[in-house]
This record gives sequence, C-alpha cells and structure tokens, in this order.
Amino acid sequence: MPVTSYLALGAVLFSIGLYGVLTKRNAVLVLFSIELMLNAANINLVAFSKYGLYANQTGQVFTLFTITIAAAEAAVGIAILFALYRNRNTTNADEFDSMKG
Amino acid sequence: MNTLIDYDWTVMAPELTIVVMAAFLSVIDLFLHPNKDRRLFMWPTLIGIVGAMCFVGMSWGKPAYQILADTYRVDDFALAFKMIMLIGTAFITVMSYGAFRKEKGFAEGEYYYLLLTALLGGMVMASSGDLITLFVGLELLSISTYILVGIRKRSVMTNEAAWKNVVLGGVASGFILYGMSFLYGLTGSTNLFTVRDRLGEALTSGYDLYAWLALFLIVFGFGFKVAAAPFHMWVPDVYQGAPTPITAFLAAISKTAAIALILRMFLIGFIPLFQGGRGTVLDEKTGGRVLLILAGLSMIVGTVIALRQQDAKRLLSYSSIAQAGVILVPLASWGPFLFPSTLYYLTGYLFSTVGAFSVLMLIERESRDSHLSSFAGLSRRSPFTALAMTLFLLSLAGIPVTAGFFGKFYILANAVVTGSPEHWAMYLIAGIMLVTTVASYFYYFAIIRMMYFRASQVEEKLRIPVGAMIVISVAAVATLGLGLMPQLVVDILGNVDWGASLAPVK
Repeated sequence: MPVTSYLALGAVLFSIGLYGVLTKRNAVLVLFSIELMLNAANINLVAFSKYGLYANQTGQVFTLFTITIAAAEAAVGIAILFALYRNRNTTNADEFDSMKG
Repeated sequence: MNTLIDYDWTVMAPELTIVVMAAFLSVIDLFLHPNKDRRLFMWPTLIGIVGAMCFVGMSWGKPAYQILADTYRVDDFALAFKMIMLIGTAFITVMSYGAFRKEKGFAEGEYYYLLLTALLGGMVMASSGDLITLFVGLELLSISTYILVGIRKRSVMTNEAAWKNVVLGGVASGFILYGMSFLYGLTGSTNLFTVRDRLGEALTSGYDLYAWLALFLIVFGFGFKVAAAPFHMWVPDVYQGAPTPITAFLAAISKTAAIALILRMFLIGFIPLFQGGRGTVLDEKTGGRVLLILAGLSMIVGTVIALRQQDAKRLLSYSSIAQAGVILVPLASWGPFLFPSTLYYLTGYLFSTVGAFSVLMLIERESRDSHLSSFAGLSRRSPFTALAMTLFLLSLAGIPVTAGFFGKFYILANAVVTGSPEHWAMYLIAGIMLVTTVASYFYYFAIIRMMYFRASQVEEKLRIPVGAMIVISVAAVATLGLGLMPQLVVDILGNVDWGASLAPVK
C-alpha cells in the first residue's frame, strides 16, 4: 500500500523536527526544525488527498493554507531572532536564560 | 450552488468590523508622521471592539447559521466565546493607555492593530466549523501574540519571552496540524460534521489507532496553547517577559480561544471516540481520562510551584496554569452543566485576571520590578488599588462573594453530579480541586499580606493612569457583582439550547 511509505516519510520528518527543536543549540536550526514538523504534516495531507480513505482535493487546499501560515510564522521567528541577536550578540539558544524561578 | 453574494454576510458583522478597524489602523500608521503620538489609536480600537460587541449582542439567540461553504459557523456557543474575548480585549486596550513609558524602538501603532488581529484569530477559532478555519484562526491568534510579546524590541527579557513563545507555539501548531492531517486522512473531509459522521466508520474498520493518534496529537498541541501541565514550561518565562497587558491577554483571551477550539474539536469532530468507540485497544473512556490527567496535573503543578514564587508575575502565571486545570474539569467530566459552568468560570476568571494584572502593571511601572516585596505597603500608598487587588485575588482563590467562588462551586457540582462508584475519577478530580484551592490560599494571601501588613520603603501615593483606573474599577465591580448575583449570567447561559449549537445546520 503506497500510503504507508508517505506516512513513514512524514513521521520521520516530524520526529527529526521534534528532535531538532529539543536538542539544537543554534536558534536558526531550531526554526528550521519547526518548519520540518509543519512540512511533515503537509506531506501527510497531500498523501491522504491521493491515497486516503476518501481521497479528494481538500487536503491539497489545506496544504496551501499551511504553507502560507508556516511562511508567516518563520518570518516572525526570524524577526524575533534578529531582535534577540542585536541585544545579546548570540544565536545560541542555551544562553537565552535570563529568567528563572 | 451558492455564490458568495447569496450568503447572509450580516452574521459575520463582528469579524468584519474588527478586520476593517485593523486594516484602517495599519494604513493610518503608515501615513502618520513617525513622531506623532500613537496612543490615540486606542480610540478607533475601542470603537471597533464595542461595535463588534453590539453586533454579537444583536445576533444572540438566533438559530445557527453556516457561511462560506459551511466552514464558518455562527451559533450561541461561538457568540458567548466571542463576547468574552471582546470584553477582555476592550479591557486590555484601555489598560494599555499610558501604560508604556516613552521608549525607543517601541512600536505603539502596531501594538493596537495586532491586538485586533489576535482578537480576530480568537473569534475565528470560536466560530469555525472546519479544520482549515480552526487552524488559520489559531495561527492568526498565535502569530499576532508572538509579535505582541516581543513588542519592546530593546528589552532582552522581552526578546527571550518572544523567542520561547515562537518556538513552543510553533511546536504546538506542528502537533495540532499533524493530528489534523490524520483526521483528514481518515475521513476525507475537513468539515467537523463530516469528520464526525465518518470517524465512527473508520473506528470500526480497523483504523481506530490512527483516530486515537490524531486525538493525542491535538491534545498535546492544545495543552501547550491552553498552558496546561505537563506542557506548561514556557508559561512562566513568556508571562514574565511579556509587557504586562499582553500577559493579561495571554492569560485571559488566548486561553479562552484555546478552550473554544478544544470544545469544538471534542464535542463535534471527535465525538465517536467518546461514544462507544468500538476500538481494539482503547475504549470510549480514554479521551475523558486524558483530559482528567491534564486537568489534575495542571492544578497540582501550578499550585505547588506557585507556592514558592517570589516574583508576583511568575506567581500569577503559575496560578493561571492551575486555573487552566480548573477550566478543563467540566470538559473532562462531561456533566450536565458543561457549557454554562465553563463559560461562567471563564467570565469570572477574565475579570479577576485582567484586574489583577492591571494592578500588577501599576506596581511594576513604579518600582520597575515585579517582586512580591514591591506590593509592600500598597494599602497606604493606594487604598483603593489594594482593596481591588484583594478582591481579584480572593476571586482567583475562590472565596465566597466573588465570581471565582461561584465558578468553582459550579464546576465542582458538575463534576460530583457525574460521579458514581464506577466513575470514581470524578470524585478524585473534585478532591484535587478542593485541596489545590485550599493550598492556593497560601500564595494568594502572601500578596494580600504584603499589601496590608508590610511597610513600604516609598511612602508617596501610587500614580494611577486613568485607563488602568477604569479597568480596575470595572473589573472589581464585575467580580463582586458576579459573586453576589451569579444568576444574572447563569440565567442567560442556562436558557441556551447548547445541543442545537453543536448540531449541523440543515
């Protein structure tokens, strides 16, 4: 059944993304990892729109929405990282620790 | 085949008002000279919100209506949530007036129209009948709040808060979207009602584990958004670093919108999983158990960690984690008063939280610090503020004659009514609620003790900007009023046919 291989690809991408968010120190890589997680969902949607239980076009429409949203989210993420870099001169996420309690 | 003109667009009047006002403000902001004072943007923002409130009030009680190919749904459930969010945003707009000192790199124009777009996202979430609109609304709310949290560009703490919000918010969105993709794969539709009809079929034909996977992924993402334990680790940092009005926004409005999302998903889309899910591994009680665990953990973790906080803003953020647990109890227990008790509690919680954060904002402005000791001697510096803060804290703690007391009582009654010897988890969650409520008195009273029984270093009067004054007075009156006369709101909520607001439109 071809859909399982797409789902496996999606699951692998999602896991890599989650692993990256949790472990990477470079803030840019953290943003990349979030994109991977969102794209894993996109692959699922497109695969389901061809091989799902009720295959139809809606999944691809959904993907168009999520691609746009992911772009907006990445833009905001990068902008916040810029502001942070200006103030702290680092992109090492481990050093963003001024609040504790 | 419907064309766009055939729809009755008047049902979307609240959203359209907010969109128009946000677009109008963003254009004005471009053309206005950079040195001009943008505090006056508060007025158009407020006019937009009040206009939207009028439209919401006018459509209350009418039969449900679906627009835009059934993706958008206006019913009493959506209207109630919209009203709460509109009131909350109006408060936050007013309290922001004069809240920010003149500082370089602070974009005050953006501040107001991003508040409006965030509100719009919440309203879209409350009334969507489709996975796509749910997700778009969620992201509109989230992305606007990412920027709002980081709006003071020069402050390191604010930057860090915004960064943590973006990363964990992005992960949560990823989980929700991944879960939604499985839901779509099983049912071939993004319409919540079609999902409901076809999900039962998928359950019986051997795909039940995928359905449960979708539920767990969505609960995971939702846990982040509503700030429930064990997904709460971002909450204290983001709440502490964000400008205080935005902290109040996150605590009150974002949480309300997330609750609207989970209610729509669970009570429409996922309902086959709760009604005799004939699955192989998990039974129909699993979904309720997951929520019970989320609710119980939130109450325990939020309360226990709040006990040892020395910073008032962090204390209130842990308290809001505990409150998230309380709000989840009605959904987890599925009692007869699910909707009225959730909405009543959210209303009371809105007034007391926004009020408490506006007092905190005043303290922070004066002492540039949100440590508990900044509250010392407040009863002498400003007796009115101290009294109002006491009222808000009593309401959050759930002490009689305040809104919070009746809200907690309502939720508790709802949980106990559904309990039975084989349904003993309800008694357990009611017990956890009682114990954590009593434990929470310690940290709420720590602030009250500071205000009344500790001497302050500074003796001069606390300066109160007029916006904050209005918010504190109105919130105090509402907190007290809801506590003394709960029937005012309960009657309105009790007369609504909630079942009809979750049924598809013919």
